[in-house]
Amino acid sequence: MKRLWIALILLAAIFTGTLLHIRSLHGFTDTLGRLLEQADELAAAEDWAQARALTVQAKEVWADRDVYLHVLLRHADTDAICAGFRETLALLDSREYGEYAAANARLVTQIELLYEAEQLTLKNIF
Amino acid sequence: MVIAFLRTIILYAFIIIGIRLMGKRQVGELEPSELVLALLIADLAAVPMQDFGIPLLTGLIPILTLLCLTMALSVLTMRSVRFRAVLCGRPSVIVENGKLRQNEMKKNRFTLDELMEELRMQGITDLSTVKYAILETNGQLSVLPYAAQQPVTAQQMGLTPQEPGLPMVIINDGRLITRSLHSRGLNEEWLEKQLRQHHVKGTQDVFLLTVDEENRVYLSKKEVEK
Repeated sequence: MKRLWIALILLAAIFTGTLLHIRSLHGFTDTLGRLLEQADELAAAEDWAQARALTVQAKEVWADRDVYLHVLLRHADTDAICAGFRETLALLDSREYGEYAAANARLVTQIELLYEAEQLTLKNIF
Repeated sequence: MVIAFLRTIILYAFIIIGIRLMGKRQVGELEPSELVLALLIADLAAVPMQDFGIPLLTGLIPILTLLCLTMALSVLTMRSVRFRAVLCGRPSVIVENGKLRQNEMKKNRFTLDELMEELRMQGITDLSTVKYAILETNGQLSVLPYAAQQPVTAQQMGLTPQEPGLPMVIINDGRLITRSLHSRGLNEEWLEKQLRQHHVKGTQDVFLLTVDEENRVYLSKKEVEK
C-alpha cells in the first residue's frame, strides 16, 4: 500500500508542478507582451528612446529566466525569441517604424504562442 | 509539460487496452502494464538523448509518469483479484478432458497450429492424453496430462532416494569462495585433502568444485590452454 501512495503522491506532484509551470508562464508571457506593446505605442509616437528602454527591459526579464525557460521549453522556440529581441532592438536603433512594428508583432506572437502551446486545453492534448 | 503528462496517461491506458484486446498470445511473459512500459520507455528515453533541441525534462516527465502508473497498477493488481482480472485477464481452459474447447480458442484467437506446436514442445503428440491445457494470463500454455500419462515418481514406487540438497560452489574458475566453504561446515584442510584425492595441486587448477548437503564433491579440472 505504501508503494501505491508513493506512486500517487508522485503523480500528483508532477501534475501540480506542471500546472504551476503553466501559471508561471502565463504571468511571464503577459508581462513581456505588455512591455512590448507599450514599446510599440511609444515608437508609433516617435518616442524611440523610451520604446528602446521598454524593449531592453523586456529582454532583461526574459534573460532573468533563461535557464528555467531552456530547461522547460523547446530550445528552437526560446532561440527564436532571443533572435526576435535582437532584431527588434536593431530595428529600433534604425528608427524604421514599419519594419520595427512587424518584427515587434512577430515577437509578441512568438511569446504568446509559448503559453498557448503549454495551456491545458483539449485542443493541445489531442 | 502538463500536455506531456496527460498525453502519457492517455496513451498508456490506450495501449494497455489495445494489448488486452489483442489477446494473451501478444503478452509474452510480461503483464500488459509491464509490456507497455517496456515498449514506451525506450522510445521516450531515445528522443531527448539524440535531439539536443528538446529539454531533458520532456523525456523525464513521461518516463516518471509511466513508472508511477506501473507501480500503482502493480500494487492494485496485488490487492484486488477483480482489478487483476480486468488488467491481466483470466486463464482460459483450451483443452478439458482431452476435448478441445473451440469457443475458448476463438475467444483467445489461439489457432490449432499454435496449440499443437505448444503440445509438441512439451513432448505431447496425442491430444487425448491431455487432461487440461490452460492458456495462462502471460500467454504461456500449461499442459496437465492425465494421471495415467504422467511419469512414475519414486514415492509411487515406494523408493526413498537420498536428498542431495543444493550443491554449493566452493571453487569458481580457480577462485576459492571461503564463505561457501565455511557455510557447509568445512575448512581449508578438508579442501586440500579433496584436491589431493583428485590429483590437483591447488585451487588455481580447478575450474569448478561443488559440494552438496551430503558432502559429495563434484570437481572439474581446468583445461590446459593450447
